[in-house]
Amino acid sequence: MPLVIFVDDSETALASTKMVTTTMPIETKQYLRAQDALAEIQAGLTPDLIITDLNMPVMNGFEFLKGLREVAATKRTPCLMLTTETKAELKQQGKALGLTGWIVKPFNPAQLKSAITRVLRLPA
Amino acid sequence: MLILNSVDNLLEHIKDVQEDVISLSHDSLMKMSSFIENNKLEVDDDISTSLQYQDIITQQLNATIEAIDSMRSSIEIFSHAYKSDESLASESMKKLEEKLNTTLQDAKDKKDRFAGKSASENADDEIEFF
Repeated sequence: MPLVIFVDDSETALASTKMVTTTMPIETKQYLRAQDALAEIQAGLTPDLIITDLNMPVMNGFEFLKGLREVAATKRTPCLMLTTETKAELKQQGKALGLTGWIVKPFNPAQLKSAITRVLRLPA
Repeated sequence: MLILNSVDNLLEHIKDVQEDVISLSHDSLMKMSSFIENNKLEVDDDISTSLQYQDIITQQLNATIEAIDSMRSSIEIFSHAYKSDESLASESMKKLEEKLNTTLQDAKDKKDRFAGKSASENADDEIEFF
C-alpha cells in the first residue's frame, strides 16, 4: 500500500486526518515535528505522498519542503500543504518550491480523500 | 506606574485562562477522537469539520497569547525606562504606544491568517492543485 505521511504540530489536526483516511487503502505515518519526518526520510523512508502543515515551530512547512527536495528519493514526491493560510503569495511560494497542491483548513473530508486518491492514482 | 502593574497582572491572568482553555479543548477533542476510533464509528463531513475547529481555536488563542507576551514585554521596558529617568517618560510612552499598536496589528493579521475557511461560510471547498 502507498505510504502517506502527515506532518502537523497539532495532535488534534493529526487525529482529524487519521479519522478521515483510516478507511482508505493507504498506509499512514504521522509526525508532530517536521524535523523528525525529514530525519526519517533522510535515513531512507520513502513516502508516496506527504501532507504537511505550514505554520510549525522549529521547522515550518516550506523549510520541510526544501529539505525534502534535497533528498534524492523525495525530490519529486507529491506534497500537499494543509493549512489555515489562504494568502496567494504563500501559495505562489509553495508552488515555486514544488508543492503539488494547497488545502485550506478545516478540510472537507471528501475533498481530502479525493485529493489523496487523485495524487496517488488510487482506484476511485 | 502602579496602573501598569495592574494591567500586567490582568494580562497574565487572561493568558493563564487562555492556556487552560487550550488544554481543556485539546483533551476534549482527543477523548472524542479516541472514542470514535475505539468504537470504529464513522464520522460524517459536518462532524469531521467541527472537530477540526479545535485546531483553529488553539491557533487563534496562541496568537493572542503571543500578543499578550509582546504587550507585557513592552510594558516592562517602559516601566524600566520610567523608573530610570522620569524625564524620559513622555518619549517612552510614545514608544510604548507604537509597540502596542504594532502588536495589535500583528495579532489582527494572525486572526485572519489562522481562521482558514472557518472565517467564511461561503468559502470554496475546492483543493487548489498547482
